[in-house]
Amino acid sequence: MPLVDTAPSPPAHRGGSGPATAAPPPKAPLRTRLWAARWSYLYILPLLALLLTFVVYPIFGSLVYTFYRWNGIGEPSDFVGLDNFRQIAHDSIFWDSVAHTFVYAIVVVPVQLVIALALALVLNNKKLRFSAFYRTLFFLPVVTSPAVVGVVVQLMLSNFGDTFNSWLLDAHIIDTPVDWLGNPRIAMGIIILVGIWQTLGYNLVYFLAGLQTIPEEINEAARIDGAGPVRTFLHITVPMLRSVGLMIVILAFIGSFQVFDLVQVLTNGGPYFGTEVVNTYIYHLAFGGNQAAATQPDVGLASAASFFYGLLLIGFSVLQVLIFRSIAKRRAAGRG
Amino acid sequence: MALLTARRPAPGPRPAGRRPAVNARRAAGRSATHVLLLIGGLIWLFPFLWTLGSSFKSADGFFSQGLNPIPKHVMVSNYSGAWKEASFEKYFVNTVLVAGGAVVLTLAATSMAGYVLARTEFPGRKAVIGLISVTLFLPHGYTIIPIFDIVRGLHLLNTLWAVIIVQSSSSLVFATFLFMGYFSTMDREIEDAARVDGASFHQTFWRVMLPLSGPMLATVGLFTCITAWNSFFIPLVFTLSKPELHTLPVGMYSFLGQNSTDWTFLCAGSVISLLPIVVIFLLLQRYFVNGLAGAVKG
Repeated sequence: MPLVDTAPSPPAHRGGSGPATAAPPPKAPLRTRLWAARWSYLYILPLLALLLTFVVYPIFGSLVYTFYRWNGIGEPSDFVGLDNFRQIAHDSIFWDSVAHTFVYAIVVVPVQLVIALALALVLNNKKLRFSAFYRTLFFLPVVTSPAVVGVVVQLMLSNFGDTFNSWLLDAHIIDTPVDWLGNPRIAMGIIILVGIWQTLGYNLVYFLAGLQTIPEEINEAARIDGAGPVRTFLHITVPMLRSVGLMIVILAFIGSFQVFDLVQVLTNGGPYFGTEVVNTYIYHLAFGGNQAAATQPDVGLASAASFFYGLLLIGFSVLQVLIFRSIAKRRAAGRG
Repeated sequence: MALLTARRPAPGPRPAGRRPAVNARRAAGRSATHVLLLIGGLIWLFPFLWTLGSSFKSADGFFSQGLNPIPKHVMVSNYSGAWKEASFEKYFVNTVLVAGGAVVLTLAATSMAGYVLARTEFPGRKAVIGLISVTLFLPHGYTIIPIFDIVRGLHLLNTLWAVIIVQSSSSLVFATFLFMGYFSTMDREIEDAARVDGASFHQTFWRVMLPLSGPMLATVGLFTCITAWNSFFIPLVFTLSKPELHTLPVGMYSFLGQNSTDWTFLCAGSVISLLPIVVIFLLLQRYFVNGLAGAVKG
């Protein structure tokens, strides 16, 4: 993640007034240094206040709730220790929702990356005119709301779902009409299809950015040496894209594991939890609103589920980085 | 379409031999690429085109015309219906307020912080950068319950302020890093010149550095605007019991649950929800695309 590795440039001057050359020496008393930097503190205050209140504290705050049985009203008082975690670990609906989320990610990410890379290779051709126009065209779904897209998909299904059914029936492909969002497998397929369509643009732009870092001279040299497009792709493009590619894969997985809007709008996790993903599962636990959740919301249980899933995700990211590292090392060793 | 696929004739005289044939084949290949890309693009955008067309259809036409996106009789009344009767006017105003508020808050907090983190030295600077870097890696989206609790403690539950503040905090870290990177590449002489001219710390930032960071303001502003406009989870949680505070995506969702038969109203509502942000994106897209590209390239 280059954003993090980027070392800030050498500071130009201290927070106070006066040119950089007249900055107090580093040994000045702390009080003087703090006072000199008073405006820096003032400027960073809004960010820190928001960050500590709405990002940092909640991470630890949710940990406290995991030890209570609490419906979200009043103060939590019913301390249950690790019971919530035990209950989550034994809840088959939780594990089903983890499985659904992983199926979503494992289908969406590879399919999407292959299409995005192919499209990026075509659009990266310097001789192709209107390449920016095509990029915009395929990128457009990214800037639209997944919730609204979910409604649009429902509208389309309500309209030609029946037409498709009669075509399929006439062609004797199916015997009974398909209940598009009522059949968990088909509903999941539709969610995956829409998910691929909606977020492909990110990966297209990422790949295009990566391809533009490959100097044209290298491709030119390969062509002069008689390498065809396939060999150029395998021996130049792929190795040169490795670091950007790792970033793209990780971002794509992280995004897919957080899927919520589409599922909530298209199926609400149904039918019978058949398309429940982890985020809808947590939402239903914490705020109710599920077909089976006539019960009280259970904030403690929801927090335990979120925390548990958060740990799973961190573990998965670390594993992913380690696997990529070891592949890179083995390749390097094999060559050297 | 013919205009797009037409190729310029190969310039200059060519040496005799196979060249013309090769050129012709290449030109044909390029035309085929354009045709494929255009057909693919048309299919890709079909859901939007169909929704736009259907928003002008009559209730009967909506079903009888099926996949055909071009309405037989153009009806504008779907829009007035969605705008007035189905409260899309309210949803639209709420969404504009949320997106605008999130943009202003995010830009103010992150540009100021990015500036002092990149250009000034103060005790604790490294600790702040460390804290921000760590939060970038912690899983987000699993902390909505304590956030809900804080918002309730601040008596902001069921207000648009809650949505604006929580929405802004979700993109703070990324935006701060973008501003830090941008300010750290700026020439130090600009600041020195301002100070020689007697500019104070505040004047240096607000009058010199901030105006110079226009492209980054556009990138962060556009990111925040698009995210806030499309946001579903945060406004859903914080305006659940207050229909008059719904944003467009939440309004669409609840409308779908209640009156699932007003299909053409919903099509018009979808266009009202999608079109403004698509237009904003098309006008400012280079800032968005550059920002995204920078995130992976570095």
